[in-house]
Amino acid sequence: MIALVGVGILLTALYLQAESFVDPLILGIAFQSFLLGVLLGWLAWTEHSLDLAVLAGLAVAVRAIFIPFVLRRQIRAFRWRVRERHASHRVTGHALAAVAVAIIAWFVFQQTLAPAFPVVGGALPFVLLLQGLLMLSTRANTLVQVMGYLEEENAVVYAGALFAQGFPLFVEVVVFLDVLGVVLVGVILSIQRDVTGTPEGSPLEDLTG
Amino acid sequence: MNLTAQAVNILQASTVLLLSPFLAGVLARAKAWTESRTGPSILQPYYDLRKYLRKETLLPSESGVVFRVAPFLAFGAYLLISVVVPVITPYPIPFASTVDFLGGGLLFGLAGTLTILAAIDAGSNYSALGASRTVSFAAFAEPTLIVVFFAVAVITGTNSPYVTNNLLASSYSAYLSPTHLLVTAAFFLLLLAETGKLPVESAGLMEFGMLEDGRIYEHSGRLLGLFRWNGWLKQFLLCSVFLNVFLIPWGLFAEPTLLGAVANIGILLLKLLLLVLILVILEATVAKVRLFKIRDFLALSFSLAVLSIFAYAVLGVP
Repeated sequence: MIALVGVGILLTALYLQAESFVDPLILGIAFQSFLLGVLLGWLAWTEHSLDLAVLAGLAVAVRAIFIPFVLRRQIRAFRWRVRERHASHRVTGHALAAVAVAIIAWFVFQQTLAPAFPVVGGALPFVLLLQGLLMLSTRANTLVQVMGYLEEENAVVYAGALFAQGFPLFVEVVVFLDVLGVVLVGVILSIQRDVTGTPEGSPLEDLTG
Repeated sequence: MNLTAQAVNILQASTVLLLSPFLAGVLARAKAWTESRTGPSILQPYYDLRKYLRKETLLPSESGVVFRVAPFLAFGAYLLISVVVPVITPYPIPFASTVDFLGGGLLFGLAGTLTILAAIDAGSNYSALGASRTVSFAAFAEPTLIVVFFAVAVITGTNSPYVTNNLLASSYSAYLSPTHLLVTAAFFLLLLAETGKLPVESAGLMEFGMLEDGRIYEHSGRLLGLFRWNGWLKQFLLCSVFLNVFLIPWGLFAEPTLLGAVANIGILLLKLLLLVLILVILEATVAKVRLFKIRDFLALSFSLAVLSIFAYAVLGVP
């Protein structure tokens, strides 16, 4: 079960790398968060842990429902955001880069962290973390970068669930609220940038042929 | 080699040769139903084949010997594949030991290369365009096929499709392992690309994005008939491998008798009908991707195949 959900999370990460349209990306990250909630729920069931059950509920409510809802409202308000600009021609490259990063991340994990975390599928959270970083570094759209950040946070929760059977509930709740805050601030900054423009934007655009 | 084994060998080759046009006919008829058309008879491919074999063969003045010989050689390659992969038996028949999974893939590649060479040898811009397109996309499809074979090899520790079939049929944990699920998905996407199904290709001669038909533009008469038959053989063989090795490894009678092999033909047909249903639903619901997005589709297939090996490395096969 844990292995299947882990591979499902990895597949959503690959999908997020290859998708150009923002709306399916939001649904993708929501599905990834839902899978994370399923994993936490399964662990809560097998470990008889109330904390993990609460965490699973929070993951689904905040990450799979509320944050995607906020992000989708942005899409409805600004129709031109529906597509990541310039990314559509690089789908092949993004997908192959995601696979390459996954292999490198696994190799690094095996060489460094594997002895400390002898868990089946222990490399997957580390791989997911680097997938989020890859998304942050290769995308230009602020909303998509926010989703890259969300993916990283999913990786942290995944690692916590797999290695420590969940951190203390208080810490987890604070992290969830922090992420929610970051998403809201990211959305506000993105609106401000789109309305007023960035200070360095115009001179750079002047240099474009 | 005993008499029964020889008879099963001949029966399997005959099944592939005779039922491959039938599968094409059923697919065309089922697709027509989803479009609210009556559609052609399911025997239409047989009528087409008879027509092609009777018609006069015209040769372009610029064409060479490859143009004339390639259809026969490709037909021979497919005929050889038909006796080395699991079609109507879950146990190896006498010719099966000649090649493994990789060898089967190379034979598919050989037949495809011969078709491309024939297209180039036609001396026509149209068929050269078709050949060029096919090669452009094959550059992405072939690595996927190779990686799929690697994944099969790591699951079973061997490269034999029969061993894979037996392992998956006897172990649910191996069947439900992420490695097998991912490699099945990758092979299915490859099957769609290789057999010219949506979203990769909407088969037909009146289409700008044609791939398969583009290569045989200049062939006519008996040569065209053979190429058409080759296409149906390829489709039948790939579907059989997908069903018997990856998707539904159960069901075939394991007794090495002629009667068991005959009964397995019926079971194979049932499996093929299920696959036809899946393909028809897919063709009715997805749109064709633009020509230059096909490589994205194949890159996805390749990524899934690589991830299947990755999943083996990270999680192993239970």
